[in-house]
Amino acid sequence: MNARSWGPTAGPAGPLGTALADCATAGFSGVLHVIGAPGGTIYFAQGGVAAIETPWSPSAEVMLLRSGRIREPDWEAAYAAAAVARGHMRSELLSRSLIGAGELEAMLRSTLADAMFALAAGFVDTCRAEATTLEHVLALEPAADAAWLVAEARRRMQVLAAFPDPPLGARERVMAVPGALRAATMRGGGRDEILALADGRRTARDLAFALGHGLYTTLLTIARMRAEGLLAPAAQGAAEPDPRTYRQASPSADAGAVSALPRRHKERLPQPQRSGDPNSRPLPAVLRLLRPRAEGH
Amino acid sequence: MDGVTTVALIDIASGMVVRSAGELDPGFPAAAASVADEARAARLVLGPGLPAGELEEIAVVTGTRLHLAKVLQDKPEEGYLLFVDMDRARVNVALASKQVGQLAPAVLA
Repeated sequence: MNARSWGPTAGPAGPLGTALADCATAGFSGVLHVIGAPGGTIYFAQGGVAAIETPWSPSAEVMLLRSGRIREPDWEAAYAAAAVARGHMRSELLSRSLIGAGELEAMLRSTLADAMFALAAGFVDTCRAEATTLEHVLALEPAADAAWLVAEARRRMQVLAAFPDPPLGARERVMAVPGALRAATMRGGGRDEILALADGRRTARDLAFALGHGLYTTLLTIARMRAEGLLAPAAQGAAEPDPRTYRQASPSADAGAVSALPRRHKERLPQPQRSGDPNSRPLPAVLRLLRPRAEGH
Repeated sequence: MDGVTTVALIDIASGMVVRSAGELDPGFPAAAASVADEARAARLVLGPGLPAGELEEIAVVTGTRLHLAKVLQDKPEEGYLLFVDMDRARVNVALASKQVGQLAPAVLA
């Protein structure tokens, strides 16, 4: 199969399921362009899915850097070395012991599943396959089974649909309910960060990128917190959170959290650390939350 | 290990079965997501900063089965579970836990 297109069809995800099945059956190697919202590109290697790019789901690079799993200078050094040697980023990361082979594979499979979920949960108009050599920074080896990814995407949609409230979309804005931080009896697990960042301007997709979490994981956490009355869709008239709520809840850790919320801007990767003890610097709470938490790994 | 029927690597955050080997029934993905939910709930109950220490393992013992889920990373909302399903009649619970713990680090290496 050199080139082929799949036109619009009825049903969830339009022609995506058929296109994936046909590419897998044909042992296709190349790219499958998914046109829609969000749309994206699926990279095939001998019928398996090796990589997916979509603007609604953080890439492996974003996940590794935002989570602090790999430090940005280490990533850049590996990237430069791979580019100079015309080698693979995967080999460079492993040879520098920045991550284990098993962990990298698990992480890539997780990001693939998240990207497929993002594509399947959106709108797909048409798909267009184009045979070419695989060129991707971090491709999964061996490639994943397309049918497994589709089944996993379906499971994720079923989980979200099982919550009492209708599932939020990736582009829907969420905000913390006033008093939520004080009312939250279950802290940790990324919930504090979401409460601090859910200001009514950020969407679920924005939160996923800001925290370096998968889109599905973020939507799942939002759904749980929404069921507990901690978050609400911003479009449904929830009031702006009262900055005093945060100050009263935790004066030492949260002082100025809301008042210091930055204006929404293009997402940036964590900036290089300055010298000195980072914990001693007077950073706003939100910025402290975004600081990589696993430096030195 | 003797008595092992299923081994799976489960992503705690999403509940997804990342990799698996052995006997898998069609309901296994849902069961895996349930185990991941247990791990996440246990971490939340332990509280921020985990004063009781990090969650290391979840063990479920029934009349015929032993399910061990060993945490492979300890970041909140992150990490994986090494899930092992064993025939209880053929394993010693404490020894199995020790053996799985010894093998676990190699999974992500």
